[in-house]
Amino acid sequence: MFALTRRPDTKKAPARDSGGVSVSRLGKGVKVRGILEIEGELVVSGQIFGRIAALKVTITPDGFVEGDIVAREVVIGGRLEGRVYAPTVLVEVTAQVTGRLFHHTIEVIRGARVDGRTPWRPVNFFENLDHLPEA
Amino acid sequence: MAIFKSNDPKQPEPVKPSAAPTPEGVRMTEPPRPQATAQPLSPVTPPARTGVLMASVISKALKITGQLESTEDIQIDGEIDGDVRGVAVKIGNNAKVKGTVYGDEVELAGTIDGKIEAKKVILTGTARMTGDVMHQDIKIESGAYIDGHLKPEFGKSGAKPAAVASAPRPLQSVPTGT
Repeated sequence: MFALTRRPDTKKAPARDSGGVSVSRLGKGVKVRGILEIEGELVVSGQIFGRIAALKVTITPDGFVEGDIVAREVVIGGRLEGRVYAPTVLVEVTAQVTGRLFHHTIEVIRGARVDGRTPWRPVNFFENLDHLPEA
Repeated sequence: MAIFKSNDPKQPEPVKPSAAPTPEGVRMTEPPRPQATAQPLSPVTPPARTGVLMASVISKALKITGQLESTEDIQIDGEIDGDVRGVAVKIGNNAKVKGTVYGDEVELAGTIDGKIEAKKVILTGTARMTGDVMHQDIKIESGAYIDGHLKPEFGKSGAKPAAVASAPRPLQSVPTGT
């Protein structure tokens, strides 16, 4: 019943949708230095120098992050220099990664550039990551 | 076609391929589509100051400790502990900024504990401003709380206009260590 006339367009702008998790977007012209903490999703098309803690982080092909990311899920489509701590990591074809990707499940699309290590960790490793291990 | 127009005045041509084969009589059974009128279909062209589809959104769950710079419009609903530099900066109802907000146009509906330096400043009825406001053009709505001085000196004194491109004093980057 709901599959009938549901328009795909309506899903496109969930930024202010209070129903789901809140999504923050940092556009192309945005540059942030410092610490970003969000109980929701962060979509990065700009530049971030610093640390990110979020539920989900998406780096678009325009995005650049220098620093550490702690999240439940990380999608890398842009440039990343630093470390990722996430149970689920997806490295897109457009990604350029330098650093370490601590993960439990990882997918790297063929064509992505990954320079660094991708250490596997058990799930409970990610559950209490209040302070980052200096590993 | 006329039926659709009366239904949906903002979209003269219903871009709905599935509607074509459906007989006209079924029209009434279609669910209402309030979202289609509320949000334009192309998010690529952000309607400049509506705030709904702005390019950058700092949602209310986000807290930034540090410096934020933007060469495009920005909507802040979260919490920022640090300076903000932007072009058009909108600070939403529940947002909190601790620091200076620079911009061409700053619209405040939330809280700032710090300073505003902008050509055009709008303090809405829910604004709570603790600190000075440097401006050229200001609008204050009834209900706004202001604890500070309003100085029409933007761009005159040594205060640099908020040229976003010339990013002054790059903050020491947070130690990352690979």
